[in-house]
Amino acid sequence: MSLPSQVGLSLARRGGLERVTGACLFGVDLAQPGDLHLFALRAGSGPARIQRLDLAAARAYPGVVAVFTAADIPGINRVGIIAKVKDQPILAEGQTRYPGDAVALIAAESLTAARAAARLARLELEPLPAVSDPRQALLPGAPKVGEAGNLLWEARVRKGDPDGALARAAVVVTNTYTTSKAEHAAIEPEGGRAWWQDGLVVVRASTQNPHHDRHDLARLLGLPEEGVRVIQAETGGGFGGKLDLGLQGFLALAAWHLKRPVVMTYTREESLAATAKRHGLVMEYTSAADEQGRLLLCQAEIFGDSGVYASYGPAVCVRAAVHASGPYRVPHVEAHSRLVYTNNAWCGAMRGFGVPQVALAHEGQMDELAQRLGLDPLEMRIINALRPGDETATGQRLGRSAGLVQCLEALRPHYGQWRREAARSEGQYLRGVGLGAMFYGIGNTAMSNPASARLEMDAEGRLCLFTGAAELGQGSDTVLCQIAAETLGWPAQDVRLVRGDTARTLNAGATSASRQTFISGNAVQLAAQGLRGLLLEQAAALLGAPPQDIALDHGGARAAGKGLPLADLLRGLQERGVVVQAVGDYDPPTTPLDPASGQGVPYPTYAFAAQAALVEVDADSGLTRVPQVAAAHDVGRAMNPRAVEAQIKGGVVMGLGYALMEEYTPRCSNLHQYHIPTIADAPRIVPIIVESDDEAGPFGAKGVGEPALIPTAPAVAGGLAQALGRRLFDQPFSLERIMAALMEGRKTERQKDEAGS
Amino acid sequence: MKRAIEFRLNGQAVHVEARGGQTLLELLRQELGLNGVKEGCGAGECGACTVIVDGQALTSCIFPALEVEGASVTTIEGLAAPDGTLHPVQEAFVRNGAVQCGFCTPGQILSAKALLDLNPHPSEEQIRTALEGNLCRCTGYQQIIEAVKAAAEDQP
Ligand code: FES
Ligand code: FES
Repeated sequence: MSLPSQVGLSLARRGGLERVTGACLFGVDLAQPGDLHLFALRAGSGPARIQRLDLAAARAYPGVVAVFTAADIPGINRVGIIAKVKDQPILAEGQTRYPGDAVALIAAESLTAARAAARLARLELEPLPAVSDPRQALLPGAPKVGEAGNLLWEARVRKGDPDGALARAAVVVTNTYTTSKAEHAAIEPEGGRAWWQDGLVVVRASTQNPHHDRHDLARLLGLPEEGVRVIQAETGGGFGGKLDLGLQGFLALAAWHLKRPVVMTYTREESLAATAKRHGLVMEYTSAADEQGRLLLCQAEIFGDSGVYASYGPAVCVRAAVHASGPYRVPHVEAHSRLVYTNNAWCGAMRGFGVPQVALAHEGQMDELAQRLGLDPLEMRIINALRPGDETATGQRLGRSAGLVQCLEALRPHYGQWRREAARSEGQYLRGVGLGAMFYGIGNTAMSNPASARLEMDAEGRLCLFTGAAELGQGSDTVLCQIAAETLGWPAQDVRLVRGDTARTLNAGATSASRQTFISGNAVQLAAQGLRGLLLEQAAALLGAPPQDIALDHGGARAAGKGLPLADLLRGLQERGVVVQAVGDYDPPTTPLDPASGQGVPYPTYAFAAQAALVEVDADSGLTRVPQVAAAHDVGRAMNPRAVEAQIKGGVVMGLGYALMEEYTPRCSNLHQYHIPTIADAPRIVPIIVESDDEAGPFGAKGVGEPALIPTAPAVAGGLAQALGRRLFDQPFSLERIMAALMEGRKTERQKDEAGS
Repeated sequence: MKRAIEFRLNGQAVHVEARGGQTLLELLRQELGLNGVKEGCGAGECGACTVIVDGQALTSCIFPALEVEGASVTTIEGLAAPDGTLHPVQEAFVRNGAVQCGFCTPGQILSAKALLDLNPHPSEEQIRTALEGNLCRCTGYQQIIEAVKAAAEDQP
């Protein structure tokens, strides 16, 4: 009986059943009777010098077992996801940098007691000079926030002859775009449990990166890595917000000191106040094209606020520069990107790492150039789209998997129909149709970022995949099992899975940068090939046929009319003492970028995408709806089409929130101040999968997690520009900004009328 | 102040002590060990803590525990049949890919169930209205709408 291909199948999500019955326990669900509860006392203001921190009354409060400060940290009190800039103390040392900093950690028999004790702590803070404007942070004499100065990171990409190109251009467009900070707002806040077991600190928490957590926790506790075990709890969404080491540090510290189980969850308020945000960027763009609409030049000056800590800032800074000119052939590029420390809320990774921001700018520029040239925005993009064999801004030659033109063409019917509808609209509703296109480099930028995976087969032929790749809801569990199954000829549903446990699985790196399908997928495929090799070798010996002539799957081996049941094959291996297991290691081929020109090969491959959005503005109230979005994504090859579509739909709605409503400020204390889209806001989404069979991807696959979100806000911006007759340059395109644009429009019309009368 | 209260929880009578100021969410999670009811915001904003009280879906994080006295409460744990057969809404969520991370899922399913119990064949608009209080950051909602429609179609 032959099995259908296990990739390209829309298998149901692993773990779906536990999630609909309520049986699935997430990081925030792990408390057990007798556990100690942790609560962090936060500064509430800052920057400030800690004049006095008197914890005697807190310690004496009934039920309190211990109160920790920075002095209780045995190792290095600095965490950070980027090795070069580990700058974040988990508990403040002498001073606070911003209000979200924790100054003490209370462990008590109940959360109520821990909170009550926190109120008894006497914390006296003396304000220090603060800097909140990133431009001012770079001036001489500015308060020093970063330990090595306030310029956190800088990146450049330079290609061709930008000045010469400007002189030759037929049209030049210069604009400044701004974005604000955004919050991940995974519906599960941060949560976890830790305990002491057999001489190890064990931490089970929501995370996107168990092996990195172990590394930083070991450093924090002054232990070898083997002294800490991190297990990924079932995680209720991440989107980049669970990449930083957050409460895991508190959990590990308390469990190590107390040798008792401890639990901690962040409230939504705490999650908003004390975790990373998406960077707000200011992007000054000059773009130029020739008469035929071919892009000549992109000059981008990108500047942003990292807040008090670095987190993933360097990665965001570099990625923004590398992607600044968008998914287009641009012969002359000059991009300069900087991130600066301030005393504001800190920023890190959030779905897209700087690309959602620059996409708003490069797509705005495409629309403006098209308008100046009298070209349709879709044609303008098709003319310039990167194609197989083209060179990117960093001088990387693309392989065959560059399907932007197909994505744009796939939008054409929707785009055309909505445009016609929009053109007919009159009266109260102003309509417009916008486009957004993007490319996104898969994996970390210009650096080694390997993943390993292990497969094991038991005597009954049961296959088990061991992977460190954190599942956050995006579906990597399902997809990695499909890849293993397909390589071996096993049914994917029968593959067992051990995931995200540093004691049992190998390092797969972070679940970020849309990298797990591609990078862990390759590692899994290599492991499966290794295991297949073992089975074939044995089959060859038993069947007396060369391995290449043997057909092998879960039923057994066959060659030249002879069959060998799987059980016999495995028994043979067992008798020889062979453990049927194999490890796969994969590190994507990249090269470092030249520091001056940014030239190099930063990624093994790129995802491409284009989306079209129909936008509708109520001219009286300014209320804006996006009833329809078409989203075409070149994913290389869809391992699980339904999971890909699910990523696309989820990304579109997150992108819609980014476009219209999401703006983090320190006043956002809960979800009534930080709005995310509800079901009432959700458009009808047409997901379109484009396949381009990547040379290096497992079965041709790339990634889709972040690309799903990136084109949406630019498409909404374009639709709004058409509906309002003027472009908004500042994200989010909030009701206030849309109203202001409507008023402005009316004023101009009145003036025209008056001038005409 | 503690008071003994009595109510029906997933079809069973329960007697439990509740404190003034305690929320139904706290009672269910901490005293009764029902972890399927989730806390996403604690402020009535996200719907992760949705349970059904006397046929009404409501956010248990802002509902006083003492007020369930005499009421009938349904949580996600009470939906599947005792033999494990899923409720049609649960089944439809699995089949339609309406579950990603799954953290919002219990609340979504309970809001959908409360809707379908009252209105077995809702329009898409009615589905959107009934589920407006249940935030989901993962799915984009479309599969959730499809799942509720599918569950409605499965009903007699
Ligand atoms: S936890 Fe109750 S509404 Fe969010
Ligand atoms: S599935 Fe993750 S929040 Fe809804």
